[in-house]
Amino acid sequence: MEQRADTDTGGGVETPKKMSPWPLFVAVGLAVAEVGIVMEGLYPVAVAGLLLFVGSVAGIVHEAGYVARPWKLLGALGALLVLAGVGVLYSQVGTDLLSALASDSVVVVRGYAILGAGVIAVFGGFAGRFVVDADPSVPE
Amino acid sequence: MAGEQLALTVLMGVLLVGIVALVSRYGDLRSYTPLAGGAGYGGETSHGHSEKPAGLIRWFTTVDHKDIGILYGLYGTIAFLWGGAAVMLMRVELAAPGFDVMQAQFYNSLLTSHGITMLFLFGTPIIAAFSNYFVPLLIGADDMAFPRINAIAFWLLPPAAVLIWAGFFTAPLTGNEIAPAQTSWTMYTPLSAEQVNPGVDLMLLGLHLSGVSATMGAINFIATIFTERSEKVNWANLDIFSWTILTQSALILFAFPLLGSALVMLLLDRNFGTAFFAVDGGSPILWQHLFWFFGHPEVYILVLPPMGLVSWILPKFAGRKLFGFKFVVYSTLAIGVLSFGVWAHHMFSTGIDPRIRASFMAVSLAIAIPSAVKTFNWITTLWNGKIRLTAPMLFCIGFISNFVIGGITGVFLAAIPVDLVLHDTYYVVGHFHYVVMGMIAFAGFGAIYYWYPIVTGKMYQRTLAKWHFWLSMVGTNITFFAFLLLGYLGMPRRYATYNFDAAIAPLAEVTSLHQIATVGAFILMIGQLIWLWNLVSSYYEGPTVEDGDPWNLKEDGMFGREFQWFEAQLARADGGEVEDEELVTDGGRIVNENLTAAVRRVADDDE
Ligand code: HEM
Ligand SMILES: [Cu+2]
Repeated sequence: MEQRADTDTGGGVETPKKMSPWPLFVAVGLAVAEVGIVMEGLYPVAVAGLLLFVGSVAGIVHEAGYVARPWKLLGALGALLVLAGVGVLYSQVGTDLLSALASDSVVVVRGYAILGAGVIAVFGGFAGRFVVDADPSVPE
Repeated sequence: MAGEQLALTVLMGVLLVGIVALVSRYGDLRSYTPLAGGAGYGGETSHGHSEKPAGLIRWFTTVDHKDIGILYGLYGTIAFLWGGAAVMLMRVELAAPGFDVMQAQFYNSLLTSHGITMLFLFGTPIIAAFSNYFVPLLIGADDMAFPRINAIAFWLLPPAAVLIWAGFFTAPLTGNEIAPAQTSWTMYTPLSAEQVNPGVDLMLLGLHLSGVSATMGAINFIATIFTERSEKVNWANLDIFSWTILTQSALILFAFPLLGSALVMLLLDRNFGTAFFAVDGGSPILWQHLFWFFGHPEVYILVLPPMGLVSWILPKFAGRKLFGFKFVVYSTLAIGVLSFGVWAHHMFSTGIDPRIRASFMAVSLAIAIPSAVKTFNWITTLWNGKIRLTAPMLFCIGFISNFVIGGITGVFLAAIPVDLVLHDTYYVVGHFHYVVMGMIAFAGFGAIYYWYPIVTGKMYQRTLAKWHFWLSMVGTNITFFAFLLLGYLGMPRRYATYNFDAAIAPLAEVTSLHQIATVGAFILMIGQLIWLWNLVSSYYEGPTVEDGDPWNLKEDGMFGREFQWFEAQLARADGGEVEDEELVTDGGRIVNENLTAAVRRVADDDE
């Protein structure tokens, strides 16, 4: 649009950066995750959506400067997903979690999808910390 | 089955890799240098351009409140067109008593889509368009308190719309396996819980996302208005529009999470075997309580900011400051509080305890008092004013006139004996359309015209804008007054046909009134097409606004903060310097008069 809409009053002081790639992905991640979890037969979509969501949350929080590196947060969010997944399984089969393996209930599959996404995110957190951050060629 | 899952997994993997690749290019975006800036979006000056990339990427990555306001506006407009198209098909079907154009299922889908779209995808976002763009300007903030959350809140909406409308696209692809929802916007159980159609789940998910979006936005506005005001803005001179946005945000904060929870419960009932709303579990009435505890505040979430817009714009063209500013603020707060105590007036006929019912009637009637305070304050502001009938002003006056009918019909409905007769007839539909079309849309149009110069730097075509107003005003009143009469005749709402027994309603009269309503709807539609044409063509070809005071507001001391900002922008683009100016809320004094440009491209509007 007009260029004048691009500048800010700010008394001549440059205001903070006006762009971020993350919001779009946080939103799409949440949407895809919700659809994947609720709609029957879309479990891979649930995994991808959850990963996209926790990944971009870690990214945006890091970008906003609330954490120095995103990895720990990614791992923590992954751990929450693991807990949630186990919770869903528990709601279906009680403490004998192993019997969930034999169950063919659609709710159990959903629990596995959430659990699986959590495991991958935890793994991603470790990978980030010990592989990416250990690589001196990657800039801060 | 396994093959499908595999294909889906591969697809999602590709999607994720694509996203990672895209975001990793973000390093390049970040090193976008000021020197390379400018080109691609106006490109006249180098001022402040180091912060945004060019082209489409800018719109996908922006966290600037003004850009996000524009995105909300475009989004709301698209939703308005979708909802409008749906209702025009319905009006055509209803022009004759039988099933002539479509079958009941399709009618019900259109009805559901129209209601949900207009309330959640048009109404709430179009208000956010104004508040995102202008609240920071009006309170002298650099941006919202949480610009990234602001962007997330917006980006939740396109997926929400895709999900809410999904059934219309998937039905032909899946042979009606996944069809559009037919639940009406109230999604009453057990109907909504028992329909197996997965399109209903998609719609509920979309609705849930739109609620998350509204809640994030509300938190952001509350934080912004509390913490980001410039030193010159205190609670006493906070402008009326920001007051209504603050109140609205508080209502959203209490109402939308409740809707979200209720939707999740409904989804669990549908997919996870729970029994919150089952007849032998919780109960279908539980849904109605939860829904209306959200639903009634929602109507005030939708109407308070438009009231704020009118309270802001009307004085500008009456040449006097808003009469009784303080009381307009108090009445806003009062409505905000009371609106949580009236939800059961939507349930008078469900057999709740008569004593409880009576107390809901009392509170509902009480809401008429602060509403009347506002109405009388607007009228008193006009009294003896120097009235200029510009397009924004015409829409403000139309708003008040429609509110008189919309509000009074509401008071009638709040009386239990009247409601028991008129409930679930077209009278109710007429009542709330006077409010939603006659007020919310009208205030929105007025504000679009009023701020068009700031947002686009251009001026709209004034004759077309007046055509738009008159067609809208006449169309609204023909259509929805016919609805009120249809209600008196006993025409039930949500029917795709009215080829019924004369014991229900007199067929000849009902048919004529439906035909009148259809004609009114077409008049309305023509008005909106003119509006669209005007905005788009003026954006490309309209005269450039070179004066920071296109409405001649300085003369009457009504030059508001947002136009001061605009003037400063213009002066800066010319390389001039701007002195600091005194803040005006509803018509205080302004200090800096000397920036008034010699040539007013857009002078006083013709009367
Ligand atoms: C002046 C205050 C108002 C009063 C006393 C009032 C009263 C009522 C009552 C009693 C009903 C229920 C009628 C029935 O279903 O039998 C109703 C319905 C409705 N009102 Fe109002 N109203 C007022 C203002 C508003 C406003 C400002 C809006 C919109 C922004 C609005 C939107 C609605 C809607 C959407 C419905 C229909 C809901 C449905 O059943 O689908 N009302 N109103
Ligand atoms: Cu209500």
